[in-house]
Amino acid sequence: MECRFVPSICSYCGVGCGVLFQVIDGELVDTLPLKTHPVNHGKLCIKGWNLHEYITSFMRIKSPLIKINGRFRAATWDRAIRFAAESLKEVIERHGPDSVGVLVSAKITNEENYLAQKFARAAVGTNNVDHCARL
Amino acid sequence: MTVKRITFLQELLDFMGLGGRLHLEWISSAEAQKFARVVTQFTDRIRALGPNPLPGWQLSNQLLFYPEPVAGVCPKEDSWNESKRPV
Amino acid sequence: MEREQKARVKEWLEKGEIDVFLGYRMFQGHPLPYCFHPGRAHEIQGLTEGTARYPLVKIALGMARREPDIRIGLLGRDCDRRALKILAVWNQIDPNRFRTLDLNCCPSPLKTQAECSYLSPVNSGFLKGLAGVENSLDLDEVEGWGREERFVRWMHEFQKCIKCYGCRNICPVCFCSECSLEHPDFIGTGDLPPEVPLFHLARAVHMAGRCIDCGLCEEACPVDIPLRLLYRKANEIMKRVFDYAAGTDDDKPPFSALEEKVTLEPRKIDVAQGEGR
Repeated sequence: MECRFVPSICSYCGVGCGVLFQVIDGELVDTLPLKTHPVNHGKLCIKGWNLHEYITSFMRIKSPLIKINGRFRAATWDRAIRFAAESLKEVIERHGPDSVGVLVSAKITNEENYLAQKFARAAVGTNNVDHCARL
Repeated sequence: MTVKRITFLQELLDFMGLGGRLHLEWISSAEAQKFARVVTQFTDRIRALGPNPLPGWQLSNQLLFYPEPVAGVCPKEDSWNESKRPV
Repeated sequence: MEREQKARVKEWLEKGEIDVFLGYRMFQGHPLPYCFHPGRAHEIQGLTEGTARYPLVKIALGMARREPDIRIGLLGRDCDRRALKILAVWNQIDPNRFRTLDLNCCPSPLKTQAECSYLSPVNSGFLKGLAGVENSLDLDEVEGWGREERFVRWMHEFQKCIKCYGCRNICPVCFCSECSLEHPDFIGTGDLPPEVPLFHLARAVHMAGRCIDCGLCEEACPVDIPLRLLYRKANEIMKRVFDYAAGTDDDKPPFSALEEKVTLEPRKIDVAQGEGR
């Protein structure tokens, strides 16, 4: 039995607690808190304790999906991005730029958050930007 | 086995401050008078203890959100509340 | 870590007396648990006893469940050895397959100073001393309070709970595959705090006769609930009323119904009076 312990950072929210993954035979099995980490000092919330379940979950999508006739169909990245851009442009033309809202979260990096708000303000032309932590 | 578990639970609840509210008695369905007597006595004892503080619990709002110490706040006004609250 | 201890572990691995050894190793400044395998014996030089305590017994139990024939050696602090004994009494592990490298970190007659990560002083805040229960109190001090004061103080502690299940996840003697604290009819989902005080009292009742007083639960609690004090009281009741000390006694705990014999004496039935149905 090949057992390894891999330290990492929890990606669930903006705090960034230190976690320790237990990997047995290449499979992620368990999550423990990192006791000597300066952020969490060995304590985790319930989302952090169950990271091993959501990382290896079968419900994670593996390719972009487009909803056609009420059902999700697999698509390529190019097709999905083009579809999203065209639909968004149509909405902006028909209802104006303020009909679009952009919601960012702590699960994505600060750089991605900046990109999202820049996209909302410069590309779409709206001020409707908010964060999941404000809900 | 039941006696052991009930004894243990009585002591643990007493440690937490909810003591005296659990009682165990073996009564057969043919001993009706004994049943009535035990239940009446226990009801009187519970009534003397006062209402169960759990359902009307409002401590969560007061202690966690107010920074100044408001220790000793009970949901009902009573003597312990009045004498212990710091000025 | 002494050279003889490292040499002994190396010998166990090379002779095949154990399949893996669980200890600690420094990694980028953090002492992390590490699994030493027999093929890479040079790594034993990095074996250290670590300044932080991880639940090695729980990790070992998980490994033994996946592969029942595996023989595991681990760093055995006093609390780890008590945990292994409890697991053996409850038939969760085969004690012949577990081997400990004994470390003496608890205070003993020969050594008054303990070397435990748990004993570093924790500064509890002003409100905790005023309105709650401090983690460093003795049982006698808590019992010296009146009934209502005890209730208000304990409820102040319990309602801080964020239901992270950290106390249960890290506990070395919690081994149930279906935890009753996750039962939808008992503690429902979606409520915070979780059904106080039922959550904590249920856990305290389950810890009676099992808690080995290692303190990992209190270290893992994000809101500093004095769990160790509560479980210590449960074990004190066990000791006083049932004369059972968890971790040191070899027989089954008094609450397990596994080998209890119950006899019912036959009573004379008097049919005319209608008694004894």
